[in-house]
This record gives sequence, C-alpha cells and structure tokens, in this order.
Amino acid sequence: MNRIGPSLESVTHRLAETPADFLGEPRIGPRGTVVVAAVVNDVLAGLGLAAAPDLLRLLNDPKADRNALKLAMILAWLLADEWLAAIRPEYARVARLFIAVVPELAAQVRADLYVTDPDRREELARSMLAGLDFRPAGETTQQATDRLSRISAAERRRLLEAGRASEERARQIREALARKAAQESADKWTRE
Amino acid sequence: MDAGMTDTPTEAERYPTLTDSGRRTLMQMREHPHAPIFRNESGNRLTAEDLEGLAAFELALGTPPPAGNPPGWIADLISGVFADVPHYRALGPPPARLVDIAPISRRDLAADIARFVPDSVATARMINFQTTGTTGHRLLIPSHPEVAGRYLAYHKRALARYGIVPTSGTGQVGVMLIGHQQPCFTYVSVTPAMGESGLAKINLHPGDWNDPSDRAAYVDAMKPEIIAGDPISFGILLDLGVTWRPRALLSVAMMLSAGLRLRLKQHFDCPVLDLYSMNEVGPIGLYDAKLGGHVLLQDRLWVEAVDREGHALPDGERGEITVTGGFNFCLPLLRYRTGDHGALATVMGERVLLGLQGREPVRFRDAAGGWLNNIEVSHALKQLPIAQFALHQRADGSFLLSLAGNALHLAREANEALRGLLGAVAIETAEIAAPDKVIQYSSDLDFPR
Repeated sequence: MNRIGPSLESVTHRLAETPADFLGEPRIGPRGTVVVAAVVNDVLAGLGLAAAPDLLRLLNDPKADRNALKLAMILAWLLADEWLAAIRPEYARVARLFIAVVPELAAQVRADLYVTDPDRREELARSMLAGLDFRPAGETTQQATDRLSRISAAERRRLLEAGRASEERARQIREALARKAAQESADKWTRE
Repeated sequence: MDAGMTDTPTEAERYPTLTDSGRRTLMQMREHPHAPIFRNESGNRLTAEDLEGLAAFELALGTPPPAGNPPGWIADLISGVFADVPHYRALGPPPARLVDIAPISRRDLAADIARFVPDSVATARMINFQTTGTTGHRLLIPSHPEVAGRYLAYHKRALARYGIVPTSGTGQVGVMLIGHQQPCFTYVSVTPAMGESGLAKINLHPGDWNDPSDRAAYVDAMKPEIIAGDPISFGILLDLGVTWRPRALLSVAMMLSAGLRLRLKQHFDCPVLDLYSMNEVGPIGLYDAKLGGHVLLQDRLWVEAVDREGHALPDGERGEITVTGGFNFCLPLLRYRTGDHGALATVMGERVLLGLQGREPVRFRDAAGGWLNNIEVSHALKQLPIAQFALHQRADGSFLLSLAGNALHLAREANEALRGLLGAVAIETAEIAAPDKVIQYSSDLDFPR
C-alpha cells in the first residue's frame, strides 16, 4: 500500500452504484447471459491492459463458481474507473485480484452483499486498493493495513462461526433421519 | 438435539388423535385370524393441528400450471430457497430466471442430503422415506408426517378423475397397500381424515403369512375400499383367488403395461389408476387413456422436459423430466432431474406427459443393423399382461429377455413381439431373479453418435 489512491468513500460509493449490467447472470456452460470473460477483457483494455489467456480461461470455465463470477463482474465495474485508467495499473496485480482475491471473498458471502452491505463494500474496496498497492487517501499505510485486516478478520470469524453452525445443522439432520422414529416413517396411501 | 420424537415412538406418537374406535380398527386388522405377520410399526403421526393444516391444504389445491413461462410463485420459491437452503446459498444471490439454475440429480442429493434441507425446517418431527431408485444407491428423503398426509389430497384428485370419492370411515378399511418382496415393511394404521378408516400395509410374499391361503382370505375379510401396489404385487394378487372387489386399484412405482392394466380391470371390475409418483416429489401424474399420457396432478410443481445440458425442450420433444417446487417443505426442489423421460404436451386443455419411460433411453440394434429406442420395445410388449420384464442386448447383438416368474408362460408371445420389431435376432429367455434390482433396459453395444 505504498501509493495513495482515491478516498475510501469514493470507491465504496462507486460500488453502491454498481449498474444492473454488472449484476446480471454470468454465463456458465449453457446457462446465464453475461460472458464475464468478455466484460473483464473490455475493462482491462480500457485500462490499457491485455487479459492473458489463463485469466480468460478461468472466467470461461464451465465449472466456474457462480458467486465468484458475479463478484468478478462487480470488481470489473470497480476497476473501470477513470482514476485507475489514468494510472495504468500493473497487469499482474490486476490479474491477481481476479485469480486470488475474488475467489476468497466470494467464498465468504454472496456477491451482491459486496454492493449492498456497508461492511462488505468497505472490505472489497480496501481489498481492491491493497491488491493494486494503493491505500485510501487520508490514511497512513499502517492505518490502511490495520483497517483492512480488522474488517477481514471480523468477517473470517463470522464465517468460521457460520461454518460451525452449518456443520452442526447438517449433523442434526443426519441424526434426525437416522432415528428409529424417522425410519418408521408415516402413512401414505401409496409407497413408491 | 431438538426435543420431539423419542427414538422408539409410543402409540400416542404414532397415532396422536387415536380414538377407541380407531383402536378397535387397528386391532381388527392386526389380530384377524387370517392376518399376516406384521413385522413393523408406524402410524399417521398427525396431530389435531396437522389435520387442520391438511384440510386447508386440500381446500386450497389449485390446478397444475399451464404451458408457457414458469408461474409467478417460482420467483418467490427461488429467492426463498437461495436464502434458506445451504446448497443454493453457496451459489450466491438468487438468479432472476429459473432457466439459469443448473439442474440437480439424485446424485447431488445422495452426496449430502442435509445440504438440501431448508434451515428453517425443525428436525424434531422429521421422518424419512427410503429409496433405492434405479441405481441401487440408498437415499433417505427427508419428510414430515404432514407431507406424507398431503399425498391423500392428490390421491383423491386422481380418484375423482374416475368419478370415485373415497367414502370409507369408522370401522372400515380404507386402503390396503400390497407389496411382494423380502423383506417388506408391513404395519397397520388408521387415516384420521377419513374417520379413522384402516390402512394395512401387507406383503404378499408367502413368508409373511401363517398359511399362503390366508392372503386372499385376509383381503376378502378386510374389504379395503382401495388397493394400492405396484405391477409386481398386482400380478401376484390376480392369482390368489381374491373375491373382494375394491372400488379402485392404485398402481405406483413402475411402468404398468396396458395388458396388465386391462387384466386387472377385468378381474377386479374397477378402475386401475396408474400413478407416476416418486419419493422425492410425490404423485406427479396419472395415466389417462383419453389424453394418451400421464396428466399432471400438482398445482405447485413446475414440470419441464430438458435435454442433456438442462435446456427446457418445447412441447412434443422427449427429454428428462425435471421438476421444480413440490409439497415437501423439507426438500424444496429447483430443477430436479427425475431420471425419467417423456415429452410434455397440452391435450384437451390439460398438461400431460407423453411416452413416460423410466431411466435414460437405451437404443437397441435390430437384425438389419438399424437402431431403435427402448420405447418401441415397450410398445411392442404392452399388450401382454407382464408385470415386469427386462431386456438386455449383449455385445454380440443377441438379447436376454427376463420375465417375472408368473409371466414365463408368455415367453413365446413376447419373443414373437420382439422379433416383429427387431427382426430375426437371437433371444434367450430367463426368469427375473431379484425383482427389486431389475434394470429394465440395458445394452453392451455402444450406439454410434
């Protein structure tokens, strides 16, 4: 985070205003409408960068994670910003956002929350800036680092708890189904 | 763990609203001198509150959705499922269109059924229906007593198409479910919504009876208003010398041939209902000869025929039957591939499944080297009263035709029908050894694509 970027508010504001075109249904195999690889390719071209085949392949994978593709579109919108085009960021850093940061954030919550939820907006904005080696205007490197790790750590804790709760719920269902009472079932006039 | 059912249910849990007359009906079915050995126990498990819910459910039943775009309730279903069901929550925000949801299959459910149960469903009264399907893999379908109770509304709807309104009540037996397999889950119960009329689930296999002749005597003594079973057990029932004539037969679980349907209808002098029903979603369709297929029964079930990639096919094109919605709130489904195939159509104003066939179509090579679909084999054999058969083509092009034991006398006619279709091919005939593990159509030959 060696360079000074725009204010955090301006980035989160842009996120909150993500247009519907960037929130469409990603094309995965035969389903969906938006070809995410094409969107990212266009945005990178606007930044003066050429998307490498491995990045496009990842975004075109018929087994791609839908939530990650949705977040990739939101990130693409975030990157299609004038201040960034003027700077022309390093390709490797931009690619890493799509290859590493997006899957990690997409595994945490549904992608649209990075647009609608203030905390998640801040997390995505800070992650994007940090990934490109920027810190928000008005913050020291230390402040920016601390704030990003605090908001990420809180989310990771929540995620861990949610993971535990979901495992516990799955265990309860499996136990409930295995009970003798459940095996006895109940009356139906026909049995398939 | 939720408070609720103990591990072994008590009588009060099996029959929460049981009255003295219901108890007498249970005793009459269980302790009749010709009664079978009942090996298990179960019950309706319905509380007074459940019964109110069921009455309201039946009253609110609408008609199945017409052709065209998915009905309006689908959007609410999608957003609800994407919020409440772990498998779908992991896919991100809900898509705006049903077609953007990748279909799932039995394999997905079998991998971890718990991920398909909504978080909002309490586990305390959860029950399961076990299914092995055609793949032989055991799958426990999560359900609830009220869900099981909802079947009755669709059975009544099916019976009404034949002008039958079930009237059994106090002291009578409403339904007898017959099976023919070892082991078989057997028990007695009562149906509270029908004045506690009796329900007996019995096994026609002689091993479950003190004397094989008790089977017919028991059916005659119980006088069930409806008999429900599958083509195999009905095939057995035909030969037992039962004199009682029920008001209707309900056949589920397997393809019922036109030949067997006709024989059953003539023998029992009552309508024979061929229900297309599965544990995952309950009754889907009812065969109606006038419409030439299975008319859809459920109002909150969206049925599609889809291709291999999951694209919905237009009316008239055969594909895998895929369902969305259903009445099992423990397992709301979004584009569930049933494994069965057919084409959708609107016939005389009703939605109908045409040419319903279980499993993926299998192609057979005829004597001249041409290829034909297994549905043509079904057509060729449909007039024969065979409860169950299987056809396998070996790598050398010869066929193995397996028939149920009580249909072996029809082997010559079946062979002739097959040769009429396939030409001068070699056909060996054998008896089906394990009726519950039959794959109806299979081939060692690869169809050239």
